[in-house]
Amino acid sequence: MSEHAKSISFELNGSKTEMLVETHENLVELLIRMNLNGARESCGQGLCGCCTVIVDGSAVSGCLYPAAFVDGKTVTTVEHLDNNVHLSPVQEAFIEEGAFQCGFCTSGFILMTHQLLEEKPKPTDEEIRDYLAGNLCRCAAYPEIIKAVKSAANKMARA
Amino acid sequence: MTPFELAEPKTLNEAIALLDAEDPDVRPISGGTALMLMMKSGVFRPNRLVSLQRVEADYSRIQRGGDGTLRIGALASLSQIEHSGEVRQVAPVIEKTMRHLSNVRVRNVARLGGNLAHGDPHMDLPPVLSSLGAKAIVAGPSGQREIMIEELFSGYYETVLDRNELITFVDVPSQAGWSSVYFKCTTRSADDWPALGIACSLRVENGSIGDVRLMISAATEKLTRLVATEKVLRGQQASEALFERAGESAMAEAEVIDDSRGSASYKSELVRVYVKRALRQASVGATQS
Ligand SMILES: Cc1cc2nc3c(=O)[nH]c(=O)nc-3n(C[C@H](O)[C@H](O)[C@H](O)COP(=O)(O)OP(=O)(O)OC[C@H]3O[C@@H](n4cnc5c(N)ncnc54)[C@H](O)[C@@H]3O)c2cc1C
Ligand code: FES
Ligand code: FES
Repeated sequence: MSEHAKSISFELNGSKTEMLVETHENLVELLIRMNLNGARESCGQGLCGCCTVIVDGSAVSGCLYPAAFVDGKTVTTVEHLDNNVHLSPVQEAFIEEGAFQCGFCTSGFILMTHQLLEEKPKPTDEEIRDYLAGNLCRCAAYPEIIKAVKSAANKMARA
Repeated sequence: MTPFELAEPKTLNEAIALLDAEDPDVRPISGGTALMLMMKSGVFRPNRLVSLQRVEADYSRIQRGGDGTLRIGALASLSQIEHSGEVRQVAPVIEKTMRHLSNVRVRNVARLGGNLAHGDPHMDLPPVLSSLGAKAIVAGPSGQREIMIEELFSGYYETVLDRNELITFVDVPSQAGWSSVYFKCTTRSADDWPALGIACSLRVENGSIGDVRLMISAATEKLTRLVATEKVLRGQQASEALFERAGESAMAEAEVIDDSRGSASYKSELVRVYVKRALRQASVGATQS
């Protein structure tokens, strides 16, 4: 670690966590050091959404988010959506609709869908596009992804 | 990225004191979305970044003043501004602009001050806020000053801010009687940076253009107010013929530059067409309100 490294404490997936981070480290790099590989850096420029992480309830691009900025905050990654018990309705819907091929983009789409449905429980097509516009799927599973979002919304409305 | 010192002051005044008027390698960081890109690509290697994340919450509030002025804290996130009822009431054009500004994740993190201070001529908020007649409140070691948004930019990625000055608030005056539109023209894909941004605010009085503010961005080196074209419009009867003439005038007035999104001559043509469209739509809005 360099002389500039910072000691931070934050809540990671429900557990209080303390870490030493470099100021030039981003959030994806920090998570990988902690063996959480769901958020991954692909474009590295905020464009594709593969690195999506939820910080204090809002989706962020981990590739552009300084790791030191999570000090005092709450961080949730895709690994925590099932609470170690049941898959979330969004995860179930993605599987049922076959909303992926290679799966590289999937954790990002699932986390963005969680944010969408939290804010707009019955999203219009326009709102789905707005929230997911910053996520790219190179396998082009978009039609299935849209179906999965709608199916997840229905599941959550019924629950 | 290379190691650097990250200072995390708890007050704005401490933040200003940690900045350095002389050293270009010391900078404030608010959301970090623009700086992270610059640091990752090696364009910027800081010695020290002064984080604004912990300064007083006053600088991230959005409030309405007694005279109808909307005061937006420079540390408000773009999402916060997008979803603010106060902002929607005063200037619905801001919410509409946010929908096509980057993506939800960037808007969740990026702050208003960072968007303005970055000085990138392709950004959407500078043309929109300047067409609304907004000004930035700026604080430095020797006090405060006010800068109209249209006067904030001195060149390509350059602003008139001193290195130890911070944008603290943006004041948007009451928009009673005004109608505003923003056109972002992308030439490669819908989510690309614009080849041209046109923001237009106007007032129609008895069928004539009472007053107008017309801004151009992205196609020019910096945000530019089309002063001569505004003169063509002021006091004239709002009509297709007038908007046509204004489009021609804007084309002659704007100093557009070539880049990967189009040649200067192509963008000049875009200016002509989009100025006309913006005026048409804004004047429809003005007569309906
Ligand atoms: C994928 C992607 C797509 C994008 N698309 C768009 C788009 O379509 N339209 C658009 O307009 N923008 C777009 N942007 C740019 C985005 O809006 C900016 O990166 C963002 O607004 C910068 O804000 P920030 O708080 O993250 O700034 P930072 O990165 O923290 O800072 C940017 C600059 O401002 C300075 N600074 C920060 N705060 C202050 C302050 N209060 N006072 C003085 N100086 C300050 C910093 O020193 C730095 O020089 C996009 C960005 C990304 C990553
Ligand atoms: S890797 Fe972060 S958005 Fe693409
Ligand atoms: S499933 Fe392969 S990139 Fe989306």
